Amino acid sequence: MKRGWVTVLPGLWIGLVVLVSLAAPVLVHVSPLQPVADPLSPPSVSAPLGTDSLGRDLWARLLYGGRVSLGVSFLAVSLTILLGGAAGMVAAMAGGWPDRVILWLANSALAIPGLLLAMLLVAAVGPGVPAVVMAVGLGGAPGFARLARSVFLQVKQDGYIAAAAALGADLAWISARHVLPNARPKLVSLTATHYAWALMGTVTLTFLGLGGDPAIPEWGAMLNAGRADLIGAPWAALWPALAISLTVLSVHAIADRVGR
Amino acid sequence: MVPAPDRFAPGPLAAVFRRILQGLLTAWAAVSLTFLALRLAGGDPIANLLAQGLASPTQASNLRRALGLDQPIWTQYLHYLGGLVRGDLGVSLYTSRDVSTVIGERIPPTAALASAGLIVALLIGLILGVTAAWSSRRPIGIVAGLLSSLALTLPVAVTGVLSILGLSLAFRAIPGADFLANLQSLVLPAFVLGFASSGGIARLVQTGLTESLNKPYILAAKARGLPVGARLLWHALRPALPPVISLTALEASFLFSGTVVTETVFSRPGLGRLLVTSILRGDFPVAQGIVVMAALVYTGGHILADLLALAIDPRLRRLI
Repeated sequence: MKRGWVTVLPGLWIGLVVLVSLAAPVLVHVSPLQPVADPLSPPSVSAPLGTDSLGRDLWARLLYGGRVSLGVSFLAVSLTILLGGAAGMVAAMAGGWPDRVILWLANSALAIPGLLLAMLLVAAVGPGVPAVVMAVGLGGAPGFARLARSVFLQVKQDGYIAAAAALGADLAWISARHVLPNARPKLVSLTATHYAWALMGTVTLTFLGLGGDPAIPEWGAMLNAGRADLIGAPWAALWPALAISLTVLSVHAIADRVGR
Repeated sequence: MVPAPDRFAPGPLAAVFRRILQGLLTAWAAVSLTFLALRLAGGDPIANLLAQGLASPTQASNLRRALGLDQPIWTQYLHYLGGLVRGDLGVSLYTSRDVSTVIGERIPPTAALASAGLIVALLIGLILGVTAAWSSRRPIGIVAGLLSSLALTLPVAVTGVLSILGLSLAFRAIPGADFLANLQSLVLPAFVLGFASSGGIARLVQTGLTESLNKPYILAAKARGLPVGARLLWHALRPALPPVISLTALEASFLFSGTVVTETVFSRPGLGRLLVTSILRGDFPVAQGIVVMAALVYTGGHILADLLALAIDPRLRRLI
């Protein structure tokens, strides 16, 4: 197995981003919400990444924004996994009509393109951060349920499952003690891929302005705000664009790695 | 074992009919899901207007009655389905105009963007896929593979903003902002949108082509002295195309959600912008109409993809 920089760099980047976002209050001493210098100042000693159109420090906003973007997508993917995983588990283990109903529901939801489904859910609740968490989380659930179901079905074929059933173990016991642990490697890879999608969905919705208050530092919203002054002050859009790209690419690279 | 020649196989028409029926059922489910999601989770849409001070309580109750919101949800649902069949999607809460008219006006710019994007997606996808498969060991092939991974993973918002940035820096020296404005109006959005959809096509072309390049008939073609181009494009690429054709039909309908972001990035008017603004304003009939329409187009694209696959590969007829 090749273990070059292709494997190490994504992991390092994710570690760095998570660490720096968590340590934001220690690393920056200015508020991400208050102006600190002239609007659209280029990078300097006092504001290492420059300032945005309201004169707010972009370094501070990028770090605090990481907390929001990563946190929102983490909550969203947790919702996806809990809901989709449970539905997939029930479908795979129970079979029969619960399987058919769950599959039919998932397929119907998948007949609406993912981003539109998420936007529909935002429309139902009203724009804002909680709406984004719910929309991205619920929006990912049908797809995850279908994939998890096929993973569980595959594990269910193994001989030890039949052995456990022959020994008199009930369905819940088999699901929790035999199927779930053995499906874990594949589920981890699925989760990583879905996390990348959740992050992409989060920044897309906030980029579209559906994340509510634009003062909240968040990568997608920052990218959208930076769009207005792209020619005169490219840094305002460049930093969030780089942060989003590198993080999404790294998560995909890790998911690929784990999946193999 | 030789299959019995008189074994019953459903005719092509039966398969087509069954597929269309399945599609209609899925479309109905998607429409119902849209309706229920907005009504059950969204609560009272008029309350938003009241809260924003856009309507007095009397106006609100009048509006509620006019829109049928005072009736039980099942009556509203049946009413909506009935209207949908007749092409009536209700009226906008903000402009009081027919939703179908409002949507209809925005279709041309979005359709232009989506079809230009589709052409770009096919071109880029074919070029990247063929390059990655043909020179898999050379740097150019590796670069092509990397580009298709980027296309698959990067959000349209990021590639869109970066492309404007790159282009404006590249053309900063050239006077004449008209040129840049022209590029930004259709060519650049189509490229950004097409690039995002090209990743899947490139991957499919690459795997299909890699597989068929290892087939004995390619070696035979080489032995017969056929030039590289003929071998590659005629003998190897052809068997790899059927799945690409079905994927293209899917991408065509999927492009719509890409246009939502692309239209925002490039400030283009269109259905995508309309969806975003109607969500921000709480204009639920318009948002609902656009999502329902997208779901119908998407289901239609799925049916088309399957029918194309059927037309190309008759063996599939038994599976449907």
